Amino acid sequence: MDLFFSQLLNGCSLGALYALFGIGFGLVFATMGILNAAQGCYASWGAIVALYAAEELHLPFPLTVLAGIAGGAAIAIVVDQLGFQPLRNRGVGMLGALITSIAFWIIFDSLAGFATGQQSLSFPFGTFPAGMFTAGEVLLPIMQLLTIGGLIVVTVGMHGLSAHTRFGAAMRAVGWDPVAAALGGVNSHYVVIVTAGLSGAISGLAGVLGGITTSNVSFMLGQGLMLKGFAAVVVGGYTDVRGTAIAGLALGILEVFCGQYISTSLRDGFTYALLLAFLLLRPQGLFGAKSFVRA
Amino acid sequence: MLQRIADFWAAYASTLSYGMVNAFFALATYATLSAGILSFAAVTFGAAGGFLGAQLVLHSGLPMVAIFVLSGCAGLAMALVIAVVFLRLSSHWMALASLALVLITRVFVLNAPVLTGGVNGLSIPQRLPMGWLAVALGIVVIGFYTLHHSWYGIAARAVREDPSVAACMGIDARRIQFIAFGVSGIVGGLGGIMLALYLQFVSPDTFFIGVAFTMIAGTVLGGSHHWFGPVLGAAVFTALPTIMQAIVPDIQDIANGVALLLIMIFLPRGLIDPRAIRLRRVAR
Repeated sequence: MDLFFSQLLNGCSLGALYALFGIGFGLVFATMGILNAAQGCYASWGAIVALYAAEELHLPFPLTVLAGIAGGAAIAIVVDQLGFQPLRNRGVGMLGALITSIAFWIIFDSLAGFATGQQSLSFPFGTFPAGMFTAGEVLLPIMQLLTIGGLIVVTVGMHGLSAHTRFGAAMRAVGWDPVAAALGGVNSHYVVIVTAGLSGAISGLAGVLGGITTSNVSFMLGQGLMLKGFAAVVVGGYTDVRGTAIAGLALGILEVFCGQYISTSLRDGFTYALLLAFLLLRPQGLFGAKSFVRA
Repeated sequence: MLQRIADFWAAYASTLSYGMVNAFFALATYATLSAGILSFAAVTFGAAGGFLGAQLVLHSGLPMVAIFVLSGCAGLAMALVIAVVFLRLSSHWMALASLALVLITRVFVLNAPVLTGGVNGLSIPQRLPMGWLAVALGIVVIGFYTLHHSWYGIAARAVREDPSVAACMGIDARRIQFIAFGVSGIVGGLGGIMLALYLQFVSPDTFFIGVAFTMIAGTVLGGSHHWFGPVLGAAVFTALPTIMQAIVPDIQDIANGVALLLIMIFLPRGLIDPRAIRLRRVAR
């Protein structure tokens, strides 16, 4: 039974990483209609910045995490303003943005390779809370609890922002039609920058937490998160953060339990079979409603 | 001088072949894109053609032409099945779904070792003469030229520009997009066997994200509004890393990305843009 609970927690914390990353990815896709290939770099660079803050600047843990979040957000805004904004100004559709995001993916992955010396680094012991929290007989690693807590905070926060604030309404309006939103009095340039920053910040957080819990800080970190986070977005639906959060958790738990009880080699198979099943049976995602088609 | 040309040829013949192989995939992407669908599914069609073709080369002893035809048919069959499923989705979802399909393809290939060789992949002893590649690409390009000027081509452009207007003019958008998937399947399947013969090796990682991004980048870079765009774009995208390695070997990846970025920012409709060419002609 102990094994079951500890594996459940492993699954939840892994799933929380996927979900966090997926929320960042889905935010850009829903608001700007961009399939952002560079999203993985935000996570890698969030982790690298946080590692620098911890090792060189000796910042305490909460500030380290904040540094990673800020790093992710900063890179996201740079990518958006250099890579996506020129295309928006010309009004040529967002297909080109996919290519510029691939360009930034190549650039930032390569830079990340230089920054980490082409190897996988890990956070030194003592820069993060490595202790255990005991609940009865079960030992709960604090980092895993923090990861899950991070997901809950981000999901509740983003859902609140999107559903209950004026800014959230503006974000959804820009996602529907930027021109119509501008006519309705929304400063879409401002909305786009803040959205890009938010998405980068959430991905950066996923990167820092992932870098600590998996002891892997390199450009591979972002790529790994990208594939599974993407699966979470498809299963959960990109229009609703709650769907992404639940789907991410489910994928993480499924992955860990498959590895434990069925077969390690079929782990990814189960994830993607679930993905396929959702695409066929419920293409609009967990919480998605069938929307009407605009002419 | 002749020696120089021979050296140049020896050094870059492989890049040229690879560019032509990628042109198949770029054209397969263009086939769906020109009917208004952003889809990465051509990777899966390529996997169908590539693995079937590789098995035929290894075990059947059929002539090359027959293998090419059968690979194209494998891609076509795969495409028609996928089109039935995908055309029920809206366009945003289709892009995501097709990317998911690429990930699923790899898992499937890994877990069906009887058909695909599993993790180890399949080695192919045969080499692909460049002449064959060029002829096959030529035939495909002529096919695209014919389609571009046919009723289908006009209808596809209408569907891409505005599906509602196209529907008002009596064009069945779903049918056009179904045909587009079919074309994409044939060309993708052919691309698959070409890639397999060029690399002389196929594995689960052959048909994965790398090909997906190469083909979409080639298509958009070259221009997604004309059939010559993807051919040129694939060549440029393939040659870019080689050129950058010759100029700035230390930071070739970064230079590569920057070049891609600059082309897209200054020529967002791609290198070949029929609209700009028409405008220039009118201005004169």
